[in-house]
Amino acid sequence: MVLELQKPRPVWQIMFSTHHTDVGYLYTITGLTFLFMGGVLAMIIRTHLFFPGEGVLISDSATFNRIFTVHGLTMLFLFALPVANGIGNYLVPIMVRYKDMAYPKLNAIAFWMNPVGGALLWLGFADTTWVSYAPYSIIRAPGPAADMFIFGMKILGISSILSSINFVVTILKCKHPDLPLRRVPLFAWSMFTVSLMTIVAMPTYAAALIMMLTDRLGISAFFNPFAGGDPIAYLHLFWFTFHPEVYIFLLPSIGMMYEIIPRFSRKPLYSQASGVFAFVMLGIIGFASWGHHMYSTGMDFTTKVVFMIGTLAAVPASGMHVFNFLATMWGGRIRFAAPMKFAVGGIALFFSAGAGGVLNSAMPLDFITHGTYWVVGHMHLFLVGTIGFGFVAMIYYMFPYITGRMYSERWASVHFVAMFWGTVQTFFTQHLLGLEGMPRRVYDYPPEFTSWTQLNQIATIGAWIIGASFAVFLASLIYYAAKGKPANMNDPWELGGKYYYPVEAKNPHGGHSGY
Amino acid sequence: MKTLIAISIITIVALALVPQLYFAHAQLAQQTSEKQYINLRAEVWNEFFRMTTAAFTVGAIVSGTMIWLVWRFRESNPKNKNPTKWEHLEDPTAGSYEDEGGH
Repeated sequence: MVLELQKPRPVWQIMFSTHHTDVGYLYTITGLTFLFMGGVLAMIIRTHLFFPGEGVLISDSATFNRIFTVHGLTMLFLFALPVANGIGNYLVPIMVRYKDMAYPKLNAIAFWMNPVGGALLWLGFADTTWVSYAPYSIIRAPGPAADMFIFGMKILGISSILSSINFVVTILKCKHPDLPLRRVPLFAWSMFTVSLMTIVAMPTYAAALIMMLTDRLGISAFFNPFAGGDPIAYLHLFWFTFHPEVYIFLLPSIGMMYEIIPRFSRKPLYSQASGVFAFVMLGIIGFASWGHHMYSTGMDFTTKVVFMIGTLAAVPASGMHVFNFLATMWGGRIRFAAPMKFAVGGIALFFSAGAGGVLNSAMPLDFITHGTYWVVGHMHLFLVGTIGFGFVAMIYYMFPYITGRMYSERWASVHFVAMFWGTVQTFFTQHLLGLEGMPRRVYDYPPEFTSWTQLNQIATIGAWIIGASFAVFLASLIYYAAKGKPANMNDPWELGGKYYYPVEAKNPHGGHSGY
Repeated sequence: MKTLIAISIITIVALALVPQLYFAHAQLAQQTSEKQYINLRAEVWNEFFRMTTAAFTVGAIVSGTMIWLVWRFRESNPKNKNPTKWEHLEDPTAGSYEDEGGH
């Protein structure tokens, strides 16, 4: 792996490079920057909700709406996608034994669309919520914020499609002839699956955004009920893209765990084939469940049953991943260095989040939990608990390969304990808040509702703990990138120097001139 | 591996068929009378809570297994002083782990 930071270079050389590790580095740094920006918004929201009726930090509901909208957009489209793409850029070409991505310039263009899209979302600071449901988003949402949101999302969508095409072509057409597709490491398989899903799903939302824009301009009335349009049509178009997008966020994190767990268990992966099968299954099933977001929209009974079944069908495939991880660890000699701690923590929280999802997908309970904090807790348990833990695990894993230095294991342990504790405290509590009936996206609530107040305060303290854990993470990354002990590049964690992966894939980290 | 895939496919098919049959029956019942409809709603909830109990039982087993696994196979456990058989191999992935019979 190329050492970007160990060999000093002018910043502009990295910024305007088209090499896959440089682009990967830029994606990852951009994603982490937006993570901290979005995190600050989350802290503001949670601190505000700690003090009901007092208007602390946020004095009006319109500002509150803008803050949680931009928080959601940032975390999903400016943190989760760029970091997955960044690590994919780093590893996928090496894993398929090719010198670069298939289209290096296109790759760089796809990256540079992210800061542009991000700037539009942040400068506009729209209040539409990240789902931007019609009719509010087309009739009432104030411009130019909502229009900047539409253009920002459009640019980010095009970026996703371009990078997905690049990944698909790299994996299918540029992999070494000695490496059969079924033996390609599972992280590359996860990127392959999500790239195909993006290519299928994203154009629908791209069309919906155009329709929304023309509706806002008064040229059309696709979703405008006052002119004969149908707002529910927007929900179908939106969720057809964004339920698969949930898996697009999730699967790279699972792929990263597949990279880490065999190595730190000092054992080969239990089953490559079941991992591939489960990825492909989730890729297909992801398109069979968008309607479960819309049970309360007046959908007929049979359709709801079909979507409920489609949702439940994800359980066996997800279970295959979990059992593959457990079977790989079984009989190994596990070193719980930071990447492994975060990976195992992520699996535990993945299972908990999945269990909540199964309950949520059942129609009777969905009518109780719809639009409540239960959904907020469920979604965040996936996003922070699984995706966040997987990404953090992978960043610790790649840290020595990128910087040539080791992070502090002690501070990484502090980060892990605080992040795990905070995640459980915040998002499990939000499930209970939902069952207590607190609606999501509310600016304030009556202090007389003591159960809401207590649960909100517990959740907020958990959020502060998560925030503190990420402050430790940030400080640790910066300090140890400059001052950390030089890493043994052939075996940073002293695991015996072996790479427990299919023989044709070889060790992508073995030596710096590996390709 | 083939067995694992076969079991998964059968599970998915079962997941698809069982609720379909159940709800098809439920729909027929709904058309009969208001009283039966109310009873049916109670039955659906009853079924839901039964499934929830099953889900939490499975969850507890998997989580318990994970906690035991982490405790038992950590390298600091005295039982894990010695390297595993894979650590002795020059290339632990030579051939296919699955071809060798896994565990």
